[in-house]
Order: sequence, then C-alpha cells, then structure tokens
Amino acid sequence: MSICQDLGLNFQQRMGANISQLERDIGSEQFPPNEHYFGLVNFGNTCYSNSVLQALYFCRPFREKVLEYKAKNKRTKETLLTCLADLFYSIATQKKKVGSIAPKKFIARLRKEKEEFDNYMQQDAHEFLNFLINHINEIILAERNQSTLKVQKTPGSGDNGTNVTCNGTLPHSTEPTWVHEIFQGTLTSETRCLNCETVSSKDEHFFDLQVDVDQNTSITHCLKCFSDTETLCNDNKFKCDHCSSYQEAQKRMRVKKLPLILALHLKRFKYMEQYNRHIKVSHRVVFPLELRLFNTSDDAVNPDRLYDLVAVVVHCGSGPNRGHYISIKIEASAIEDFYGLTSDLQKSSETGYILFYQSRDASC
Amino acid sequence: MDSMMRKKTQVSFVIRDEEEKKHKNGVSSLQLDPVQGRLYSAGRDGIIRVWQTTGSSQDRYIQSMEHHTDWVNDIVLCCGGKNLISASSDTTVKVWNAPKGFCMSTLRTHKDYVRTLAYAKDKEQVASAGLDRAIFLWDVNTLTALTASNNTVTTSSLVGNKESIYSLAMNPPGTILVSGSTEKVLRVWDPRNCSRLMKLKGHADNVKALVVSRDGTQCVSGSSDGTIKLWSLSQQRCVSTIRVHSEAVWALLATENFTHIISGGRDRLVIITELRNPVNFLIVCEETAPILKLCFTADQQAVWVSTSDSDIKCWKLPPMTSLNSETFNQNSFNTNNVYQTQPLHHIPGGKAIKNYTVLNDKRHIITKDSSNNVVLYDVLKACKLDDLGEVDYDEEVKKQFKMVYVPNWFNVDLKTGMLTIHLGQDETDCFSAWVSAKDAGLTTENDQKVNFGALLLQALLEHWNHPNRINEGGQKVFGNNYFSVPVHTPLIFSEVGGRTLYRLQVGDAGGETEGNILMETVPSWVVDVAIEMAAPKLNKLPFYLLPHSSCQSKQDRQKKDRLVANDFIQCRKVAEHVVEKIIGGGDVNGTGVTKTTPEDSVTEAPEEKVELLCCDQVLDPNMDLRTVRHFIWKSNVEFTLHYRIIKQ
Repeated sequence: MSICQDLGLNFQQRMGANISQLERDIGSEQFPPNEHYFGLVNFGNTCYSNSVLQALYFCRPFREKVLEYKAKNKRTKETLLTCLADLFYSIATQKKKVGSIAPKKFIARLRKEKEEFDNYMQQDAHEFLNFLINHINEIILAERNQSTLKVQKTPGSGDNGTNVTCNGTLPHSTEPTWVHEIFQGTLTSETRCLNCETVSSKDEHFFDLQVDVDQNTSITHCLKCFSDTETLCNDNKFKCDHCSSYQEAQKRMRVKKLPLILALHLKRFKYMEQYNRHIKVSHRVVFPLELRLFNTSDDAVNPDRLYDLVAVVVHCGSGPNRGHYISIKIEASAIEDFYGLTSDLQKSSETGYILFYQSRDASC
Repeated sequence: MDSMMRKKTQVSFVIRDEEEKKHKNGVSSLQLDPVQGRLYSAGRDGIIRVWQTTGSSQDRYIQSMEHHTDWVNDIVLCCGGKNLISASSDTTVKVWNAPKGFCMSTLRTHKDYVRTLAYAKDKEQVASAGLDRAIFLWDVNTLTALTASNNTVTTSSLVGNKESIYSLAMNPPGTILVSGSTEKVLRVWDPRNCSRLMKLKGHADNVKALVVSRDGTQCVSGSSDGTIKLWSLSQQRCVSTIRVHSEAVWALLATENFTHIISGGRDRLVIITELRNPVNFLIVCEETAPILKLCFTADQQAVWVSTSDSDIKCWKLPPMTSLNSETFNQNSFNTNNVYQTQPLHHIPGGKAIKNYTVLNDKRHIITKDSSNNVVLYDVLKACKLDDLGEVDYDEEVKKQFKMVYVPNWFNVDLKTGMLTIHLGQDETDCFSAWVSAKDAGLTTENDQKVNFGALLLQALLEHWNHPNRINEGGQKVFGNNYFSVPVHTPLIFSEVGGRTLYRLQVGDAGGETEGNILMETVPSWVVDVAIEMAAPKLNKLPFYLLPHSSCQSKQDRQKKDRLVANDFIQCRKVAEHVVEKIIGGGDVNGTGVTKTTPEDSVTEAPEEKVELLCCDQVLDPNMDLRTVRHFIWKSNVEFTLHYRIIKQ
C-alpha cells in the first residue's frame, strides 16, 4: 500500500524481515517460556492501533480476560471484541516465539465500527485506546443485558416476567465489568472555598490518567502537577453553596481508587494558540519501572499499590500529524526493546506516549 | 471610563422591606465608638448597621448605612467617630459620615473584592486590600474632603503581593503594615515610604487575621492552618506558635498592652491566651457559628462577637490575672468548660434566604431561609406576597406547580441573603417573556399581550424624568399603566458579572443629580423600552401542522405545512387558522407565515369544530404553543401539531 509511505514507516513489516536477526541478537533461550513476541503488520498507518494492541497484549490481566472471553464465546456475532480475542488467541497459540501477524480482521472490523478510523490516515493512539476500552466495555454490558433477558424468557417466569426484568437488569448494568475491574480508577476533586473553608468533593471514574508534560521531569513530577492545587479566582471564582456567592476557592484532583492497570497518557500534543495548531511536546520524561502514587486522597481505598511498568506506546516523529507509533514491552527489570530500533529513526523524536503500569498484586 | 471598553450593563434590584432593621446574613466586621457607645456592624447583606450599646436593650437599632451592593467585608471607624470607611465585595471602598449615616464618596481603585482594611489612628491613615493583590494607602482627611467637583485622590500602593490578600494590620503610629494572603507568608512594609521590610514564612495556609503591637515590634497572625503565631518583627522570626483552636483562626484581638490575645474562628470558640505563656488559655464562650470578628467593649471587660450568622453577641471576659491562677481548668479543650454560657448582650439578626425556586409562571419565587421559613415573592411587582411560615418547602413548590411554560427572563442571586434579581440581555434575555395581560391579572381585557421585562423596567424607572419620554395627549407617559414597584426598592446598574456602576432607590430617580447620573449609566436597550416605550421583539415559534391520521381530509394534504407564530398564542388560534384556511376551503395554498388576526366573524368557537393534538394528546384550547412544545412535544426541533375535525 503506497499511502503508508507518506507517514511513518512500515515498521512492523520491516521488522518481520529482521525477526531472525532479532532472535539471534537476543538469543531465543533468553525468552521466557510460553511468551510470544509477534509484530503486527501495518495496513497503512495502522501503527496507532497495532502499538496499542501490542501493549494491551502484554497487560496480562487484560490478555487473560480476552482469551477467557474467546474460550467462553465459541461463535457469536462478530464484534470488535471477538476480533481482538481471535487476534490474541492466534498470537498466544503461535508455534514460533517471534514473528509477525496480520490483524486484518480486527482492522476491518474497526473501520466498520467507527467512521473516524475508516481511512488510511494516522490516528492518535490514545484516542484509539480510549475508544477500544470503552467499546469493549459496552459490548460486555450489552451481552450481559441480553443474557439476563434470555434467562427471563425461559418458560415458567409467567406473568410476573416484567417484574423480574426490572429487578434483574438494573443491578447487572451497574455491576462493574472486567474492563472496569482492570482499568477503572476513581478520581476525587476537592474544592475548598477560601471564604467559609468548606470542602466539597466530587468523584469521577477514569480509564486512564492524562498528565501534562514539562521539560526535564519525571512521571512522579507529572503526577504531582496533576494533583497540584488550582486557585479559582478573578473571573473564574467558585460559586459556593454555603456562601451563596462567588468566592475564591482551591481545587485539586487526587486518586481515590487505584486501578489494577494504570494507563498514563502523556499529553504530548498541545494546542498552541499562537500557531493555531497542535504541536508535539517532545520533552524528555523519565519514567520509572516501579511506580507508587503519592497523589492519593486521604480516604483512598488502596493507596499503597506498587506498580510495574509492563508496556509503553512510543510516538516517533516531530509533529502530531505525522510520525509513527511503536510499542515496547518491558520484561523484568530491563527494558527489552524487542522490536529493535532501526537506525533511520531519530532517537530524540521517540517519546513515551502511553505508559501501562500493572499493579504488583495483580500478577500473582 | 472608555465607553468602548465597557462591559454589558445589567439592571438589578433587591426585593426587601423599606427598613431592614436586622442583619440578614453574616456580620463580617464590628467597630465601637466608645464615646457615643455606638456599635457599627458590617453585614454580608451589604448593609452597615448602627446600634446603641448603652441603655435599654429593647431597641438598640439606630440606623442603616446603605450603599454597597455586595458583602461589606470590613469597616474602620476613624476621625474620633466622625467617619467610617468600608470595604466591600462590590470592589469599592466607601467613605461615610458616621453619625448621619450617609455615603460621602466611593473609591473604585480596586479591581476585585476588597476584603480587609487597616487603620493607623495617630496618622488618620487607612489601608485597603483584597483579592486583586493590591494594597492602597489612603489619607482619611483627604478622603473626607472629597466633593463632587474635587473628586480625585492620590493613593500610594504597596506592591509585591503575589496572591489574594485576606488580612491587613497597621500599628497606630503607622510605621508598620503587615499583610496576610493565600501565599501563606506575612509581608511587612513601612507605609511611610512604601518600602518592603520583610517576608515571614511559617504558616501552612491562608493568613486571615493580623494584629500589630503599638510599637511595631510584634505581630500576631491567625491562619487557616489552625494556628496563631507570635512574631518578633525586630528579629524577623516566629517567637511562638499557639495551638488552641481545632480549626482555622479568622479573628484576633490583642489587649492594649499586648499581653493577651483573644481569638476566634471556624471552631466557633472565643479563646483568650496569654501571649508570653500560651499554656494559660481559657475558652471564653462557644458561639453558634464560625466567628468573623471580635471587638472590645468600651471598658475592655467584654467582647462583641460577630459570626457568619446574623446575631451579634457580647461576652464577658475573665479577669486577665485569673488566667495564671488555678481558678479555671486550663489547657482543656473541653467545651463544657467555658467561662461564659450566656452572653451579656444579644443583638438578634434576621434570617438569610438560602434556597429559591422560580415558579413556572416565571413571575413568582418561593424561598426558604436559614430557619426554614418559606416566603412567596412576586418578581414583577418587586414585593413579598405571602409569608407561609415554617411549611414544607418542597411540598409548597410542588403545590404551586402550574402547567405553563414561560421563557426565563431574569436571574436570581442570594449573595446578600435577600432576593436580588438581575435583568440583562445575555443568555437570559429579560424581554423573552410575553404573556397575556389577562392571565397575569393585570387587566380583564382579552388579547392584550404584555412583556414582563418591559413592564418591570418601566416601573423601575418610572420616576426618572427623561427628556425623551413620549407624550400622549400632551402628557408625558410615566411607568407602565398597570402597577408600580415600591419606591424604596434598591436599583443597581452594573457590568455583567462585575462592578457596580450606580445604585439608587427607585423613588430617588426623579432627582436632578440622580437623573444626570442615570443619563450616563442606563444602557440604550433599557431606555428604548422603559422610556421610549418601544415594544420588545416578539418570539417566533415555528411548527408543522398536519391532519391527524384518523382525520379523512378532503384535500388529503401530503405536504407538511410549516407555520410560524408568536410563542404565546393559544391553541385556539391555531384551531381558528385550521377552520378558516384549511377546512373552510379558503386559501388552500396557505404556505409560510400565518397572520393570526382574530376575526370575530366566526360565530362558533373554533375549538368546537376542530381539535388540536400533539403527540396524540388532545390540547386544551387555552394552552399556548410554547407550553405545548415544552411539556408535550418536549423538544426544540420539528415541533408538530395535528388537527382533527370534530364530528357533529
């Protein structure tokens, strides 16, 4: 496909040719048993999706749930989830340890599901991740509702069937899905009126945390900034219910429930008013292999969770509209950059974009 | 002021009694005139009240000082009780004649809420500061000499504050000025040459209260971090940290010789502490709300205490010497162990309105105050209608529900604890509500439509002798022919969401000075309607009219008829249109706009020939189109009505 030449590199395809080289370099005996390292073939700027899928494959709790779904749902209607399950299954059941695979069915389905992805243009990997997680969640919820309906339709429910439906479906739809259990955390935003000093707080769920990036900082610093106190003042005062008036207030966001897998999105594409467009913020951000959150609220459920970095989606390139995504899988304590880095990629332009941290209590 | 730069102007008014003898909201500040025995209290209802502290406790109220349009945050009494300076969230500082209670001048130098004042008695100098981070120094004698023609004043400013200022203090000779802010540091200046002296770090939160010793060598600060700190300004360090309060400290008062500090704050306790030996402290009293201000009585044997409630109480202080004795159980946070349980004096306050609901007719408001008293107001006539007492608020709101839809035409504000109504031309256009004059109970005539916003503006400016007032039979037209609003109603012109331009009472608009200021202030959209009696624009509502599926129309019209009508017309008019234009066999190709001119030629009421339906629901002929759209169609797009011929 010629279009893919314009933007980025057909990285995975090239890598396919180098697999044996890679295997030789690392030494296949060093690969953990039962693990497969497979590249995904680029179908013209689909690296945004490939890189995220790769990263998700190495988020073990997620992979296991997807494979479990595959095992349970033998042949249902094709959805993005069944495509993903098939893809994961085919990687997991490969005889070879390394190689490449063409996620043809998944990409075809994706293009059907969402108009924005139905083209050969480069997309934002974070937007894709966000779409995928939400979409899978919706599929699970829809299937759950359907199955409860089926159960109620079984003979014997009789006239009080409608009654049962009401009682039956409601708690099910609010019950968390396995997507919630893996990715969902809770943020609490606390606002303190500077006049009466009453604190009001509001909780919201998240699937990933989006942090701003600064020059020469670390993830820990980004997370600290994320929870920095913001003063609502001047024309942006806070309407205090207690004071019945607009007053200055201090607001901060803190994590109340830490997710099993913490997806950190580094906001590298900033809209610059002076240029009237988005530009890429390429600042170096140091990310640790082990992470503990310090911006937790006082009433946090599990503030001491220790996270290990499991995968990184890297954006290569200088701008938001061009470039390439690759995925790095982190093994043990060394960054095992198993896809290798081709020499024609400028090192400085490779920047961590989405980091996947897995809670240590999840892996055991 | 550059008129090009001016923000949009809004018109506001307050619905209240002519004389509001009680504070309707928290009391931010207190000042005592020991000679006259008068207590001045600064209210968050925007009113400064004056009380007689000596003599009978029956009627202490002397007068109200009204000119601010938002919370009065601080006051200082100066010139031996002749003048009062006030600071307000309306961003102004005002100079008052204290005995007579009138406002002499208004200083508009601050750009945000003015939170705090400081007074150097020996020099008659006042400093003001607030959320705009600026500190201005004022010479009181210059301020009181200001007149309408000589109205410029020079001020020196102390710059360097990086965040909002919540507290200020000066010593009486005016050699030291200290400011406290959300920056958590104390900044110290020499006001004589406006030079920065030092910055004192130590507090972990906002600094909300400050006092400086007479000689300017010591300072005490109270912070939202819950501590009180004693600072040596000569040594530039914190001498001691006093932890007697369990929550933020908002008010401080030092004894004359700087030996003891009396403090109050969010934990509602008034505590007296020996500064040099903070283990000696005593809870003077427990108030019912967070404490905002403390002020000595003339003999310094008691303190006046104001809180975020509207009551003002006077509490007896223990003899200072007793603090070190074993008389009282010291070092105890046990609030059962307070020195006084009954105040010496109590000036009861009124109740602030805490909740409101605008009823569906968009004319009446039900409110609930802090003691759950429920009141019904009429916004159109700017008056209270009914005091319903302590009834169930939500029940009452439900009870008053009417199935009628009128567009929003005003905004409500409860910041002062009283009802403030804002009329503007932004998201809520004050001319959006056209109603039937008959339904509004203004006339018995049919088919007369009135605009709520226009009527109200005409009434609010009824007394303004504007040269452009139209003539009718050689007589200038004043007001709106239907009703007037109370003449005591405060009328306020301000920038939308911003600063007050002018405040006056409705009845005073007839004065020459007031008239001249109004000429400069009142925006043209108000003059057009209130003075030149221009009719506001009508709101058009597009809709589709189709035969009902059950109706076998002769013409069997397939085409959707798109019609446009005034949003307040009743279904009867639409039925009339159907009778005349569609089944009457008249102009069949009646496309586009219908002129809903009532023709009395139709002897039979149109609703007896044709009924209208929306979403298969038969419509009451008296219901207007916007109500049908709001309650039955429930959408703003493709509003569709059906008609059905009634078989006779």
